[in-house]
Amino acid sequence: MKESLLDIVCCPLDKHDLELSVDERDGEDDGEILSGTLTCTDCGEEYPIEDGIPNLLPPDMREA
Amino acid sequence: MPNEADGSGEDDGTRDALAARRGLDDPVYAPAEDSGLLAEAAAERARGVVLEVGTGSGWVAERTAEVEGVSRVLGSDVNPHACRRARERGVEAVRASLVDPFRDRAFDTVLFNPPYLPTDPDAEWGDWQEAALSGGESGRELIEPFLEDVGRVLAPSGTVLLLVSSLTGFGEVVEHAVDCGFRAETVVEESFPYETLSVLALSLDN
Repeated sequence: MKESLLDIVCCPLDKHDLELSVDERDGEDDGEILSGTLTCTDCGEEYPIEDGIPNLLPPDMREA
Repeated sequence: MPNEADGSGEDDGTRDALAARRGLDDPVYAPAEDSGLLAEAAAERARGVVLEVGTGSGWVAERTAEVEGVSRVLGSDVNPHACRRARERGVEAVRASLVDPFRDRAFDTVLFNPPYLPTDPDAEWGDWQEAALSGGESGRELIEPFLEDVGRVLAPSGTVLLLVSSLTGFGEVVEHAVDCGFRAETVVEESFPYETLSVLALSLDN
């Protein structure tokens, strides 16, 4: 995902901002985020980014 | 959702008929006439920042990215296989349920070709193709919650382009959209032997 996606997405549960923590980036500083975590600044729920795709399903839908 | 490879119109919407025609081993919905019609409506009406809900293979989103006046296109899907497929096409993919994880007023245009086949609950088959096709008993089980929340993520003067099949009940969908505060207008329409597909443009009244 592009870092600018943070301007568009929010926590699916309470709609608060998400904080990005990057594990792996594609190339340099402005490259896409390939893996990491998005954490809700309010409720603290964590959403994984895997293979460049953020998984913003609510936790009860995350299986499968 | 008739398949372009089959002009016979023999489909009765059952799993076997769908499986025979569409190759249900593939966990991602392949583009069909409904996708083509939504892409056509998007070519006319999409602009600015666009979200395609339930993007599937990402085919419509990819085409929409080429439309003049469109600055950015995201594709969301509950299905992880669909998200990967869309990303491979160059679509910014987000795994999401409807518009849950998107900010208020984030989009100028929202596109949705929903799962709309009315499905007998006893005959549901419980895989990703079902998630792409089945709209529950009424055919509107995802359309209604979508209509109830999509106004939140729409910018002022933004537009929702929603594909509606006559199988789902065109009048019922329009009525629900109006109840949710939208004005509805038909952008494109096409008839097939067993369903009529339309794309509605919905805009907020205020």
